[in-house]
Amino acid sequence: PMALFSVFQTTFLLASLSLRTYQSEVWSEPLPWAPESLKVSINSTRQCLHLQWSVHNLAYHQELKMVFQIEISRIKTSNVIWVEDYSTTVKWNQVLHWSWESKLPLECAKHFLRMRSAVDDAKTPEQRFWSNWSSWEEVDVQNSLGHEPLFVFPKDKLVEEGSNVTICYVSRSQQNNISCYLEGVRMQGEQLGPNVSMFNLNHVAFIRETGTNIYCKVDQGDGIKGIVLFVSKVLEEPKDFSCETQDLMTLNCTWDPGRDTGLLKQLSQSYTLFESFSGKKTLCKHKSWCSWQVAPESQETYNFTLTAENYLRKRSVYLLFNLTHRVHPKAPFNVLFKNVSATNATMTWKVHTIGNYYTLLCQVDLYGEGKVTQHNISVKVDGEHLFGGLEPDTQYMAQVRCANANRFWKWSEWTCQNFTTAEAAPSEAPDVWRNVKSVQGDCVVTLFWKPLSKLQANGKILFYNIVIENLDRSSISKLLSIPAPANGTEVILDQCLYQIHVTANNSVGTSPASVIIVSGDPGNTEVEEERVKGTEDGFSLSWKPQPRNVTGYVVDWCDHPRDPLCDLQWKNLGPNTTSTVVSSGAFRPGVRYNFRIYGISTESVPYLLEKKTGYSQELAPSDNPQVVMSNLTSHSFTLSWKDYSTESQPSFIQGYHVYLKSKAGQCHSGWEKAVLSDDAVCCKYKIDNPKQKTFVVENLQPESFYEFLVTPYTSVGEGPHGAFTKVTTPDEYSPILIRIILPMVFCILLLMIICYLKSQWMKEKCYPDIPDPYKSSVLSLIKSKENPRLTIMNIKDCVPDSIEVLNKQEGTRKSLTETESTKPTYLYLLPTETSYSGPGPCICFENFTYNQAASDSASCGHVPVPPKAPPSQLGLLTSPENLPKSLEKNYMNSLGEIPAGETSLNYVSQLASPTSGDKSSLPTNPPEPALCSEYKMQMAIPLAPWKENWLSSQRIYKTY
Amino acid sequence: MQAQLLRRTLPSLVLGLLFLSTPAMGVCLDKYQELFGQLQKQTDIMQRTSLLLDPYIKSQGLDKDGLKEHCREHPGAFPSKDALQRLSRREFLRALHTTLGSVLHRLTALQRDVPKAQDLEMLNRAKQNIRGFRNNIHCMAQLLPDSSETTEPTPAGPATSPSPTPTSDTFQRRLEGCRFLHGYHRFMHSVGQVFQEWGESPSRSRRHSPRRGLRKGVRRVQLSRRNKRLPPRGQLPR
Repeated sequence: PMALFSVFQTTFLLASLSLRTYQSEVWSEPLPWAPESLKVSINSTRQCLHLQWSVHNLAYHQELKMVFQIEISRIKTSNVIWVEDYSTTVKWNQVLHWSWESKLPLECAKHFLRMRSAVDDAKTPEQRFWSNWSSWEEVDVQNSLGHEPLFVFPKDKLVEEGSNVTICYVSRSQQNNISCYLEGVRMQGEQLGPNVSMFNLNHVAFIRETGTNIYCKVDQGDGIKGIVLFVSKVLEEPKDFSCETQDLMTLNCTWDPGRDTGLLKQLSQSYTLFESFSGKKTLCKHKSWCSWQVAPESQETYNFTLTAENYLRKRSVYLLFNLTHRVHPKAPFNVLFKNVSATNATMTWKVHTIGNYYTLLCQVDLYGEGKVTQHNISVKVDGEHLFGGLEPDTQYMAQVRCANANRFWKWSEWTCQNFTTAEAAPSEAPDVWRNVKSVQGDCVVTLFWKPLSKLQANGKILFYNIVIENLDRSSISKLLSIPAPANGTEVILDQCLYQIHVTANNSVGTSPASVIIVSGDPGNTEVEEERVKGTEDGFSLSWKPQPRNVTGYVVDWCDHPRDPLCDLQWKNLGPNTTSTVVSSGAFRPGVRYNFRIYGISTESVPYLLEKKTGYSQELAPSDNPQVVMSNLTSHSFTLSWKDYSTESQPSFIQGYHVYLKSKAGQCHSGWEKAVLSDDAVCCKYKIDNPKQKTFVVENLQPESFYEFLVTPYTSVGEGPHGAFTKVTTPDEYSPILIRIILPMVFCILLLMIICYLKSQWMKEKCYPDIPDPYKSSVLSLIKSKENPRLTIMNIKDCVPDSIEVLNKQEGTRKSLTETESTKPTYLYLLPTETSYSGPGPCICFENFTYNQAASDSASCGHVPVPPKAPPSQLGLLTSPENLPKSLEKNYMNSLGEIPAGETSLNYVSQLASPTSGDKSSLPTNPPEPALCSEYKMQMAIPLAPWKENWLSSQRIYKTY
Repeated sequence: MQAQLLRRTLPSLVLGLLFLSTPAMGVCLDKYQELFGQLQKQTDIMQRTSLLLDPYIKSQGLDKDGLKEHCREHPGAFPSKDALQRLSRREFLRALHTTLGSVLHRLTALQRDVPKAQDLEMLNRAKQNIRGFRNNIHCMAQLLPDSSETTEPTPAGPATSPSPTPTSDTFQRRLEGCRFLHGYHRFMHSVGQVFQEWGESPSRSRRHSPRRGLRKGVRRVQLSRRNKRLPPRGQLPR
């Protein structure tokens, strides 16, 4: 069975082979219309293979639909990379063409191409089988490259952004290592052959207009080869394609070309305009518009195709329209204005004609005073329009444009022209207000007025006329003319009643008058001021309705109350109004604004109704008062800040806080403990009355250190906790001591001064000088006249005037009074003072009662001049009237200068001097004038027990 | 951007002012020192790469590592400094005049590869500067003793000589343009150095043989007036 099966199988195979051979012979029978004369060429720039061939054996004028199958292999014939069936109608003697674009540059690999054909025509259904393949056609460009060591392909290729590109290089040497770069970045390639590599670039991006640099370098050497890949952005379809005419002679077609492709000018796209009805075509010179000449009166409908085309892509748009529907008139011209008055003006213009039968619709717009008015006018050639109801002295802008009235397409461009209406007299009276002050019996009235608005002024205001009329003496009036742009003036009036008229004037006329009456009484009656609370939106003010008739109310205030020119503002309100909101952009937080509300009587006299004051926003005080400390004692001191103005503060002052820091840290009654921001603890006293600006800090410790601060407080906070003032209380006893010592010192000083001034008197009273008997002039007088021979005077012969013997214990002094009371009697023996003039012999009494020896040793000479005054006494000599006394005194003093050793004896008596004041008792033979009289020292009586006492008492003798 | 534009434009303006006193209208300055000073200043400005080379490199995308290194002057494309120094003054001026004539033509060819109007304007200004400089050279040659054979002033109009044969390969053309501009600036730098030597030794007059001087660097420079045509691109002095 196996052998049988084997024979059967062999037989079957042979039969099958025979059948296949037959079939093959039938199908591969040479077709009469097989492709012949194949020629292959390449386009390196486009990397295209061009194939051309022909089909023979076609009858004359025979046309046959055929299919050509084309195979392309790369590197070797067996590596088929492309198969394509190309169907076409073949004519007699026709050369057929076919192209294929290679992804890989053709220079980098051999390509092979062959083809066969089949008839695909209904007329010859029996011929529907393929012809034999043609022989392979080889395309090898590498052979023609030359002998350079390195080539990079494709050269200068132009691609669209985002496409894929294959780059390759061909190297002549296998030993070289070659690296390739895209804009400096190395690329990884794929080896195609021993000397060929390829690089696939996917989604290439646009880098620059001049293209992307791709280059390969031999690693060992300077060789560099490269290409520039021109990457184009995708060509867009033209947008907004439109055609229109202005004169029915030329069509102007415009479009938006879209984004730039970013290519060099020579590579950028071109635009072509094609009209299908006429078959005309024009190449546009510009990228966004093109002109088309209209055939005169021959064509109404146009069908345009606009084609944008560059090396890579072609885009077309279409447009079908009727010419008369696309009329876009030119802009009107020669726009003029005539008969321009304050409220009217006539505008004229001309239009460009479009054919003979066209009417234009023109639109006229008038802009002025923020409004626009629009008018439509039908125009053939010339247009005219009257503007009415215009504002005087106002600049208007008129513009006109036109369109085809029969079939609207587009308005023309606008043509604009400005004009200004004439001036007219001001239409409204100026808004006037006043401020009245009384200065030295006069009424100083400051008039304010608001400039008229443009609509009210009707022109440029040149000046304001002010007529002041005395209502008491109506015949007297005064006219003031204030040039613009002043907004106020000041007039001084007496206490009479005045009516003031204010008018505004421009070049055409005068406005209605604004009347205000000013009485001599400024009207500032004491109205209590109320506080109002402001907000960001302003101040809400209200007042009581007035029982008497009022024609309105006026609220005035200063926008800048802190400035000398406070910028007075006012607001007029109707008679039925009792509240308003005053708002101003000038209101600032922390500034107190004062509002006055006036009622205007029917006689136009304003009278003050209410006063309001407030802040738009209260702020905490920024400054503390300047505090003066006084009355500092060991237990208290007084603080005073009377200069602190509560009016000028950024909020209403409600009171003051007095802070006191002490080391003790204890607070007395009325004070409370407070913790400051720096965590310091102190005592705080609250003064609720903002008008109280003094405070006595009591209950302090002597010789203690304190710090205090006074700060105002308001509803929004208190003042800053700045520097505390330091104070130290004094010692407790110091004031008392000062109170005692100071008067004492003063008294002592006073006493000393008195003593000094009255020292002479004191001396006389308290310790007068004791006269020296030896220096008495009486002695010499007696000696020279009575007895030249000295004899001892018998005591019996002496008739003493008076003798006083002092006996006092040593060490006990007599007081002045006691001295006074003893009343010692002295001998006044000197000549009269008047007779004493100059040096002369002294008169000496010799008292022999005393020791002769002592007498001998005593000086009894002449004293030619008074002894020289000691320096301490010079001051007393300076006064002329004191001079005689001084001389006398000094003289006497000199007499008293007796050596202590020689004055150890007591004396008993001395003669009275003739100068004692009793001249009548003088002797008949008065002694010769002598410069001085001296007492000779008298002999001592040996009274031993008295001796010591007498010595001690000797010093108090004085002689006068 | 504006600063860059200013940096490019300012030197050209300065040059333009310098040229005001040059024989644009056919009148030469007869003051040697003044003319020489102008030539020196012009040379200083024309050797600045910011005037031509730098913007060219940037616009052509050659400012990348691996490419910049190849933007070097071809040896011999322009006369070397040594070659210029060996020339006598008259020969030097003639060589300079001729070389700059070639540069003018080459710049015209280069304009075709420059798409941006800004770069085109830059090249136009450079060409005007070169024309003015050549006129000054012409005047300087007249001031030299024995000026029987001098250079000719440069017409202000476009160059009439044929452009160098364009290479179909854009990349290679781009590189060549870059190398050319590099060589041009280097050449002007060498010219400036020669002028500096002139200033240091004003009375010195080189009398080397022109042939010897040109043997190395300016062998192919056309010195004769009768042959003013621009040599083909490959025949620029090497």
